Amino acid sequence: MAPMTTQTLQRPAAPAAPRSPVRRLRSRLARLAGGAAAAASRLSGRGSGASIRGQVMLRLDPDALATLLQGRRIVAVSGTNGKTTTTHLLAAAVRQGLGDQAHRLVTNADGANLHHGIASALSRSPRADVAVLETDERVVADVVRLGRPEVLVLLNFSRDQLDRHHEIKALGRSWRNALEAAGEDGPVVVANAEEPLIVWAAQTARRVVWVDTASTWQQDASLCPQCGAGLARTQPDPETGEGGDWSCTGCELAEPRADLRVRDGEIVDADGRRWRPDLQVPGAFNVGNAAHALAAARLLGVGTEDALAGMHTVTAPAGRFATARFGDTTARLLLAKNPAGWAEALPLATTSTVVLAIDSAAADGRDVSWLWDVEYEQLAGRNVVCTGPRAVDLAVRLRYAEVEHQVEPDLARALAGHPEPVDVIATYTPFQRLRRMGGV
Amino acid sequence: MPSTPEKVHVALVYQSLLGIYGDRGNATVVTKRLQWRGFEPVLTVVEPGDPLPQDAHIYLIGGGEDAAQISAARLLRADGALQRAAERGAAVFGVCAGYQILGRSFTVGEHDQVTEGLGLLDVTTTRGPQRAVGELLGTWSGADGEARHITGFENHGGWTTRGPDAEPFCTVEVGIGNGDGTDGAVNGTVIGLYPHGPLLARNPALADHVISLGLGGRELPPLDHPEIAELRRQRLAAVRPGR
Repeated sequence: MAPMTTQTLQRPAAPAAPRSPVRRLRSRLARLAGGAAAAASRLSGRGSGASIRGQVMLRLDPDALATLLQGRRIVAVSGTNGKTTTTHLLAAAVRQGLGDQAHRLVTNADGANLHHGIASALSRSPRADVAVLETDERVVADVVRLGRPEVLVLLNFSRDQLDRHHEIKALGRSWRNALEAAGEDGPVVVANAEEPLIVWAAQTARRVVWVDTASTWQQDASLCPQCGAGLARTQPDPETGEGGDWSCTGCELAEPRADLRVRDGEIVDADGRRWRPDLQVPGAFNVGNAAHALAAARLLGVGTEDALAGMHTVTAPAGRFATARFGDTTARLLLAKNPAGWAEALPLATTSTVVLAIDSAAADGRDVSWLWDVEYEQLAGRNVVCTGPRAVDLAVRLRYAEVEHQVEPDLARALAGHPEPVDVIATYTPFQRLRRMGGV
Repeated sequence: MPSTPEKVHVALVYQSLLGIYGDRGNATVVTKRLQWRGFEPVLTVVEPGDPLPQDAHIYLIGGGEDAAQISAARLLRADGALQRAAERGAAVFGVCAGYQILGRSFTVGEHDQVTEGLGLLDVTTTRGPQRAVGELLGTWSGADGEARHITGFENHGGWTTRGPDAEPFCTVEVGIGNGDGTDGAVNGTVIGLYPHGPLLARNPALADHVISLGLGGRELPPLDHPEIAELRRQRLAAVRPGR
């Protein structure tokens, strides 16, 4: 029998420390001003207003995030790829576990995961005492310090937006230092055992639940984050289903023994119990995300059956995998932001015509060199449409991959007039535009 | 009877250490441009721990993080194949950290650690006053002496000083490059430049120059791709607003 949802989940958060009347007033005014800014943003059609709400609040009350994090049981979800989907899976699991107390849950479902996005979501649910928070890699250390989360989920660590984050190791170090400083008050970490940088960063945590997602992406880890020596790997064995593992050739850092493993679409625990998550989001990597969400939900006290039932309800987290209409065209939207994300998304795009949308705005990363680390060669024989402001960069990449293609920089025109359904893979900025255009 | 295609050996050096910015793209471009001209390219992707091939016509070196760069420089000095390649006139082409490794020494990392390079270019790299991140536009005199633009993306903390034996590869109009209005350096068949990743995809004349150097200066028939010309037009327009 899988464990049932327990009293642990019903436990309310410790109340926030009392604050002075002046500070309470300042928080309240900041919240009101943020709300007004968000309403103005929505009315002018510029977006949900989540980001501007948080920005205004934090401008007026710099301690707003710390204040808003108080008095809640927090799970933070971070990593390079899969943050939004995992946050949705985990929130759905917790919601299912809470049952008729689901109003106790707050989550930043819109993917706004920087300081102001998190503050915005929390400010709208002042009484919700369980928070599932998607957290940008740069914000993890602050959330650990200010919010003392119960659980921290670290999914994976890959290069992304190198024009801003020059070295991913510096981010890993910020996590490691924050966990060390938190000591016994720190979170239980649910972490990917396959990623050397994550294993190194999580070493300072008081307790870690290790997950092996059977990922094949290894291109971002070749040197030991602890000592700089080379890493030795054993490859996965498709015969036995055993996953590969890694160890450092210069020190003792090695892949830890997993508490939960993903094998052939199933989640297997250390006792050999197996669950097949009946997910509505596609792809093997989402089974890996579900394994992380399941581990985190169980730590909060959600029963396994409740967690799986909740995760089954997730279909299109913040537009990912959503199907939308663009005139007469039916299109499914996939997001890919970096080589690791593209390696996951490309096999999911199965339509005969595939639309690829590339931009280099700040949120996409201004440098599109990563196009050359994606194996677009696998699209040979398909009808590929290149779109977005950097469509021609992609076209040159496809020319060298010998993949036939057309170029239509305008998103609306690129999507027009396809009689058969099409899969669209987009970087962040065009993905958000497509969500607005398609109403998803 | 078609004659047997001529084999051209291309080595991509330490992809897992020096491939952070899509630098394998330069190998894709070189091998395809050889293939499209009827050569038979043979690509060796060399990983750390494996010896470099002794007989390649073209060696390509990319960019990497600080620890990876230091590690790669040590391994390459011990291996010695690149020094021998330069002596026998093979093409050696490095970008970003790969360029710095080809020089005399470079200073990177939190503790400003000085690491000895291969000394194939008379340049020295130390921490610059600011990190150079963004589009770069330069001008080089092509193999035929005709002025051509170099367009690429640079992302590096080190700035580079040229010694008396180093010719700069190009002048810089937009961006930082070496930090003195020039970018890169050239010495015989050895070329280093800052813009990383698929620099050769945006600069087909440079790609063909590197190939030609690897083939002992042979002239190559032209290849025409309107998309590449359009990409160059767009990148130039992006960094020269109003011109």
